[in-house]
This record gives sequence, C-alpha cells and structure tokens, in this order.
Amino acid sequence: MLPRRNPATQSEGVVQGYAQTFQRWPSQPLVKRPQTRSELTGPSDIARRLAPVRGDLAGHGAKRALGQLIHIRARVVDEDGAPVPGAVVEVWHCNAAGKYIHPNDANDAPADPNFYGAARLVAGDSGLVELRTVKPGAYPVPDSAGWWRPPHVHFSVWGRVWLSRLVTQMFFPGEPLNERDAILNAIRDPQARARCVARFVPSSANFLVYDYQIVVRGRGAAARLE
Amino acid sequence: MSLVPTGEMTLGPFFPREFAQGANDLAAGVKQGEVIEITGRITQLDGRPLDNLVLEIWQADSEGRFDNANFFGWGRAATDANGVYRFRTIKPGGLEGRAPHVNFLLLCSGLMRHLQTAMFFAAAEDPVLDAVPAELRPRLVAGREGTVYRFDIRLRGDGETPFFDD
Repeated sequence: MLPRRNPATQSEGVVQGYAQTFQRWPSQPLVKRPQTRSELTGPSDIARRLAPVRGDLAGHGAKRALGQLIHIRARVVDEDGAPVPGAVVEVWHCNAAGKYIHPNDANDAPADPNFYGAARLVAGDSGLVELRTVKPGAYPVPDSAGWWRPPHVHFSVWGRVWLSRLVTQMFFPGEPLNERDAILNAIRDPQARARCVARFVPSSANFLVYDYQIVVRGRGAAARLE
Repeated sequence: MSLVPTGEMTLGPFFPREFAQGANDLAAGVKQGEVIEITGRITQLDGRPLDNLVLEIWQADSEGRFDNANFFGWGRAATDANGVYRFRTIKPGGLEGRAPHVNFLLLCSGLMRHLQTAMFFAAAEDPVLDAVPAELRPRLVAGREGTVYRFDIRLRGDGETPFFDD
C-alpha cells in the first residue's frame, strides 16, 4: 500500500488568482478508495512505449539556442530515497525570451529557431537524468492581474506504479517572482515548496549547474503487491 | 529514510503536442481480446469543452491480468477543440474481486494536481466502485453502442464525475 500524502505538501486544488482552477477542480470531496493490484501495478518498462527524444536542447555552434547555458541534473528517487532506474522523464520549458514552442502560446515574445523545448529522458541506474539546455525566461500570464510566471521547467515522471505518476514544475533559486507565483505557492508547506526549487551548484564548467531531486510515491519493492 | 513525495503542479497549457500524440491505440498488434473504442467529452464548470487536456489510462488485459507481455495496458490521448478524446483498446477482464474497469488520470492547465477516476463497463460489485456514494456510481459506468463505449467526464458542476483521492 502507498501511504497517503500530507495535503500540506501538495498543491491546493482551487487557487486565488488562477481563474481556471475555479472552473476545473472538482467541487465534491475526492473519494477515498482501496488500493488493489490495479492501482499498485503500473506501466513497467514504459520506455518501450515512450522512446527517449533529445537529451540536449541547447545545441552547439551556429545552432546554439539563445540564453544562459545550463545543465540540469535531476535525480528520481522513491520515498525511501532509493533511485528509480528506468524512470521516464518528460521535460519541457519555454525559451530564454519566455516563449513556448506550443502553437497555443500567444505571448508576444520571439521564437528561437535553434530552440525546441521538449525532451524525453530515461533515468540511469542512479535515477539520474541530465539535460543540457538554456535557462527559460519569465513570461506574463494572459488575462491575469500582473501575474508573471517565474522561470520554471515542467517535469512529467513515471515511477514504479500507476499511483506514482508525478507532473510538476522545477523552479530556479533566487528568483523574485518565485515568492509571488500562484502555482508554486499553492503548496502551503514552506519546506515542501522549497524542495521544488533547484539547487545551484558552483562549478568551473562553462554552463551553470542545477541539481534537483524528484521524489515519486512508493517505497522500493514494497510499492509492488508481490 | 523517509522522503516526502514532490508536490504535484499543473501541466500548464503548453504540454508538447508530440508527447500527447501517438499513444492512444493499445490494441494495435494485440491478438487476444475484444477490440473496443472508448471515447468521451470533457467539460468544465461553465459547460465548455476542454481542449488539450491529457488523459492517461491503465488497464488489465482481456483476462484481468496486469503482467501480460503481449499487451501494454497503458495509453495516452489528448482532447481536441471539442473536448473529445478517443482510445482504441482491448476490453479488460475482471480478476481478484475487481470488475472490469479502466483507470483514468487527467492532466490539464488549471488542474493543480492530476485527477484520478475509473470507468466501468457495467454496474457491478467492485471495491473501488463501492467506495463511491451509491447515487453517483452510474456516472462511472460507460454508455455503449456496439463496440464503442462512451465515458464523458465533467470536472466540476452539475453531473460532476466522482474522482479519487489516493
């Protein structure tokens, strides 16, 4: 059985200042259900269906994306701190000017022909995925009263079982917009919130290094029924 | 060591289209079981359909098993501008006290955490369906026309779909 999570460490469903949440989060209480084999198994070996694409979003030479070169080292672990090798991780973020590759992004910021902001990675034995990219910019949220999204990177992660699925966002340290962001601050617990911010790692490399830990639900083999 | 699971956050409006496509046919190349289609429309409080909402499903094979090397019981689809999604799959069997069902997970801009629900093929005794208040259970049972099962999802408001807290 997977232990229930502490709600204070998870986002609120309805968030002041984020209008869509009032249209979309259920009004009725969520139903507590028993966990059976159906919820405690999961798509194992999902990389079979979701093949890795692009491990480097920054490019090189004349094809180098604009912006500050960064290196994200994200480690996927379970609630025991044990690495989750083979975890599939999808990553997407906007370019250095705050523009996504998505056709629905109406933000009046320039596209970068050398930047395509989507990658799918598979964790190695230590649960580590590494992404070379450029630091995303901030951008204003349409039809909001001055809400700017701080620089952030979206993560979509598969753990060991169906209930381990995690979609979240990684933030950068020292960004003044972090304190005002409706999404980051929807997590009430300050420590849980702080863990959504990557750690800057001083280095002599020609890129900035950020470490980030992703904890998916499950406790080692105990997450399985057998 | 005991670590706290990372906080979920919304998928946002810009989930790459290439990730949302090409994974909604679970039946391709599968020889065992009845091929069916599951489709439905997803709406929000004001009744408007949701475009670009991502659904993931997890289900058993035709015999109720989750460890069939010849059937990968996971799929993903996204809604179109009319709020409609579509999966092609194999009708799952029931096993170990569970009635045949398909687990659904929903991700969307404005959903701070993913939503979990389940679709059933008929009203039946099932420990998960039984956890839902009796008057709401019919909302988790799909309509049927031949081999097409219809499962509409209402995120909030009248006729709201029951969702699970795990």
